[in-house]
This record gives sequence, structure tokens and C-alpha cells, in this order.
Amino acid sequence: MNALYLAYAYLRYNWARSLVLVLVAALIMFVPVATQTLLSTSERALVARGEATPLLLGARGSQLDLTMAALYFGEERPEPVAMAEVEAIWDSGLGVPIPVHTAFSSGGFRIVGTTLDYFDFRDLGIAQGRGLSVLGDAVIGASVAQALGKGVGDALVSSPENLFDLDGVYPLEMPIVGVLAPTNTPDDEAIFVDIKTAWVIQGIGHGHEDVVTANDVANGTAALANAAVVQYQRITEDNIDSFHFHGSQDGFPTSAVVVVPNDTRAATILKGRYLDGNGPTQLIEPAGVIQGLVDRIFRIKALLDVVTTIIAIAALAAIGLAVFLSYRLRAKEIATAVKLGARKGMVLRLLSAETITLLLLSALLAGLGAMVVSRNAEAWVGWLLALGT
Amino acid sequence: MGVGLKRLLMGGAVAAMATGALAQDRPQIIVVNQALELMAEALVGEAADVVFPVPEGVDPSFWRPSISDISEIQGADLILLNGAGFATWIDRVTLPRARVVNTSAALEDQFIVTQSITHSHGEGEEHSHEGLASYLWLDPTLAVAQADAIAAALVLRGIAEAEDLETALDAFTADLTALDAQTATALEGAGDVQIIATHPRYEYFARRYGLNIASLEWDAGAMPTDAELDGLAAMAADTGATVLIWEATPPAEAFAATEGLGLANVVFDPLAFNSDAGSYVDAVGRAVDDLANALN
Repeated sequence: MNALYLAYAYLRYNWARSLVLVLVAALIMFVPVATQTLLSTSERALVARGEATPLLLGARGSQLDLTMAALYFGEERPEPVAMAEVEAIWDSGLGVPIPVHTAFSSGGFRIVGTTLDYFDFRDLGIAQGRGLSVLGDAVIGASVAQALGKGVGDALVSSPENLFDLDGVYPLEMPIVGVLAPTNTPDDEAIFVDIKTAWVIQGIGHGHEDVVTANDVANGTAALANAAVVQYQRITEDNIDSFHFHGSQDGFPTSAVVVVPNDTRAATILKGRYLDGNGPTQLIEPAGVIQGLVDRIFRIKALLDVVTTIIAIAALAAIGLAVFLSYRLRAKEIATAVKLGARKGMVLRLLSAETITLLLLSALLAGLGAMVVSRNAEAWVGWLLALGT
Repeated sequence: MGVGLKRLLMGGAVAAMATGALAQDRPQIIVVNQALELMAEALVGEAADVVFPVPEGVDPSFWRPSISDISEIQGADLILLNGAGFATWIDRVTLPRARVVNTSAALEDQFIVTQSITHSHGEGEEHSHEGLASYLWLDPTLAVAQADAIAAALVLRGIAEAEDLETALDAFTADLTALDAQTATALEGAGDVQIIATHPRYEYFARRYGLNIASLEWDAGAMPTDAELDGLAAMAADTGATVLIWEATPPAEAFAATEGLGLANVVFDPLAFNSDAGSYVDAVGRAVDDLANALN
């Protein structure tokens, strides 16, 4: 009689025990593979953002803070740099500078004031609506739209940054004119506005006051996007022409400047210009900063590998013991088979067929799980990384 | 390298190989006034489409583009700004900085400060804005500098062949240099004559040729009101002006009314509005001839 058929009949008869063995063996195979896949995808995702940003200009200080603020739109607040630095790079003709102003937020998401060049640089596409056109417009990332339940036609109000701000600068209501296609990057978690809009929020630019007051709200003449805010300014068709900026744009602030050099030579020349340790600005390579951070974080990976190995050995030993004990329990059954004329080889084939069938089923299950993780790793990692910003 | 990054680094330019291709394939250059349109056309020839999107009769300084206008401007390969505070709408519109060129960036030390406006917002403190004269292209030497900036931008973005551009720029510069010399000769000694302009447009022209031009704030091409005519009469009496410069041709009654005040009328298109002005040299040359005749 076919050994595989007998093995199959035995496993089916003892289905509960077989199922437990298959699941345990599948988990032992799946967990290390899934962990490795997710960790390597995380590492790639973290480093990729840095590698996709050739150079970063900012105020001298923590390189990590600068990188986290400009690339991941974190809570860090690097000292601002003047827009004159942006113009200096334009004038050099060595690359394209893209200012990134990340000082404000709305609904728990960073407001990123920048220029249209940022969208070209990151290859960001509009999924709904249109891109930034006029002062006050906001384009939101896919995750922002999902989390806030907002879309084109809705509005956002910038969060007041300082409760004791007595300068009379009110939060700004910004119409959402577009939603970006998802990218599984921090761009999904950002609210993009023209950098000039960020300056309006900052109070550098302003128009004739058109402040929506608590009375307007009480009278039902204004829709309030944030219950905590009772007064905010709004840029409308009627007052947009009155908006203006004070002073030279060269003195206006930006949190950081993404610099896209024309080529390697231009990058080298640019880096050379910011080597002075006493200068107010620094030009860094975000890839190096992120790699350093990732290297530190992923030192834990080595520990994780050891733990996984120990657990796997323990689990394999447990399975081996279970199989051994099951053989002991089946001693009478095996003796009966021998008495019926089964040779030792036949008994061995029978037991081997059972074990191999169990392992194949476990491997199949683990393989399917690994495939699911592999296919969704980028999305899951993007989501996990976004949780930390 | 991503498509977006390539476009960014190329400044959105189509390579010079696009020259001579079908019109719809040609790079598009957006300008903010007619003077820049005429300069760009003189330089680029058939290699690109030069578009001045402001409709006729609308002051390009205070134009408010629609969303579709902005979309067209954002899609252009090159956007030429005048600078010096001209076209305030650019402060309220999102533009791709990589494709924007301020043609007067190198001329800031030559700007004319016109006035300081003091105002306040709500209950905020009073503050001042410095005003700048922005029609700097009416000084041919500054126009040549703007043309230089345009040519450099066209070369950098590969919109036109460098050799063709050099030839066109040399010809344009020669024309403007000749115009500058002719104007200086034609208006020699005119500084003794007081001139009134219906709008403050001619500060750089006046500085270049030593003219005394006082300005009103009349609407271009419109029939002045009685109050405006009274104001003109008072100014003419105060200054002893004998010539009135119009930026656009007004109704015939307006000419008659100002002639009645003893003023010779001259129409000097400052090449800001969208109109059929011809070439820069022709338009300014005509105005200079008319002005010289009026002064004589």
C-alpha cells in the first residue's frame, strides 16, 4: 500500500494534532522570513528618502533635526534660514534649491510651505482636484485626506502656534484644492501650501483683515473647521489683492532648503562652500545622516536575529520531541504493523512520509504568508513609519 | 532619474532640437508685459512661442489671472518677470521657481524709489512700503540688460541655439544702442521744458534723457473727468508745463480739452499693455519723434 496514502490517512485521523504541528512549524519558518522582509523594507524605505534628497541646506545645528524636519516633516524645529540662501544657490547656477517651510501644522499634520519645484522633484501626482495655484491653496497628502476625512472643497485651519502671540496674527483657513496620489512616503502625511502661504500664516504677509470671528460662527455665517479656533483669517476673492509682504523676500524664513545639484561636480563645489564651521548654515547629505540613524536603529536587528534563532531552535526541539513522543505512543501500532508483515523499511517510509507531509504543508503555509508580507511590505512599512512622525 | 527631476534640472526646457518643430511642440515662454514680449520675440524668433496672457485693455500690473490662466503659466517652459514690483499678481500665484527668471535681478542698484506708502492693518501698527518705478525698459540701456538676462535664460534652458541667440542679441542691442543715441540727440536740452504724464510710467526714460516729467494718476485712454482736468490745469500753471504725455490715445474731446490748457499732446505707449505696438524700436522711436516735435 502507498506510504503517502497511509501517512495522509493517519494525519487526517489525528487532524487536531497534525494541525497544531503544521501551524507551529509554519510559524517557525514564517516569523524570521517576515521579520527580515519588514526590516529590510524599513531600512530601504528610510534610506531611500535620504538617498532621494541629494543635499539639504539649513541652519547650523543638529543634522538629524534638520533632516527629520525637512524629509520626514517631524516635530523638530531647526532654526530657520533666510531665503537669501535660496537665491544664492540659484545665482550659483549649480543646482535647484527648493525651500521647505515646516513650522506650522493643522489637524496634527505638518503644513509644508514650498514651491512647485518640490512636486516635480518628488514626482508627486494629483489624484483629485488640482495643484497649488493661488495664495491660501492647500494640497493634502493621501493619508491626511483619509485621517481627517477631508477632500477637495473642504478647508483646513492652521493651528495657532503660540497661545500668547499678541501680534494679532490669526490662524489661516486654507481651502483644499487637491489630494495627492499615495506614495507611501512622508509626503502622504503632509499638507502642502505655497511657501508664501506659510509666510502669511507666520504674519510676514497679510491683507486687509477679513477675520472670521466667533460671532460669524455663532450666526452661522462661517463654517468652523476646528472648534478650538474662534478667530482666523481667510483669503477670499475679495481680499486676495490686498495681500502683500513686508520687506525683501531675501530675508524671509524657511526651515530648510532641499538642493538638487546639476551633477557630481556641482555637488562637490556646493559642499565646499559650506565647510566653514563658523558659518550660520550647513549643507549636509541626508543619506549619510539617515544611514547613521538606521545603522544605530538596526543594531537591534542583530539581537533580534539571535533571539529568533534561539526561539527557532527551541521550537524545533519541541516539535522533534512531539514527533518522538508520538512515535513512542504509536509503539503498539508499529508493532502490530510489523506483525502484519510490514518490514522495518516500510515502517520507516511510513513515518518519513508523515513527517515530510507535515513539513511540506508548513512550508506551503509559511511561503504563502511570506508572499503576502512581501507584497504588502512597502505599504505596511510606510504606514508604520508614518505612525512615528 | 525621475521624469520630474529631469524636468526640474532642465528648468522645464525642451532641448534645442525642438527648434523648428511644429508650433504646438515649441517651448512656451510666458511674459508679464509687452516690452518683454517684444524682447523675447526678437531674440527667440521661431524657436519658441512667446505668450503675453494679459487680455487687451487690462493693466498687466494689476491683472488677476484665472485658475486656467495660472495653469497655462505653470506649464510654460520659461516665465519672464520684469521685477521692480511690476505685476503684483505674481506674489499671490504659485509659480515653478525653476522656470521663473527675473529679468531685472541684476539691475536692482538702478531702481528708482518712487514713494513710501504708510498704512495699517486692523488695529495693527502703521507700517510703510517702499514703492519702485517699474517701467525700466523705457530706458534702452536697461532694456538691453533685460534682453541679456532673457538670452542667458534661453541658453541655460536650451530653448534656442546659442549661436542664433548671440546673433539676435547683437542685432537687438545694436538697434537699441542706435535708438538710445537718436533719442539723446532728439531730446537734447529738453530738460528745461516741464512735461506732464497722465500716469507715472516714464521715470527711467526721464532719468536717462534728463527730462522733467511730473505725473498724474489718470486711467489709460479714458476721458478725464472735470476734476482731473482741473487738477491738470493747476499742475500746468504751477510747473509751466507745455507738453502732456498720454500712455494711450484718449477720445478726441480729451485732446481738445488739454490743448485748450495750452498743452501739446503726445501719445507714448509705454509697452506694458497688450496692444499692436510693432517692434520695441519702432514704438519707442515713434514716441520719441512725437515728443521731440511737441517740445520744439
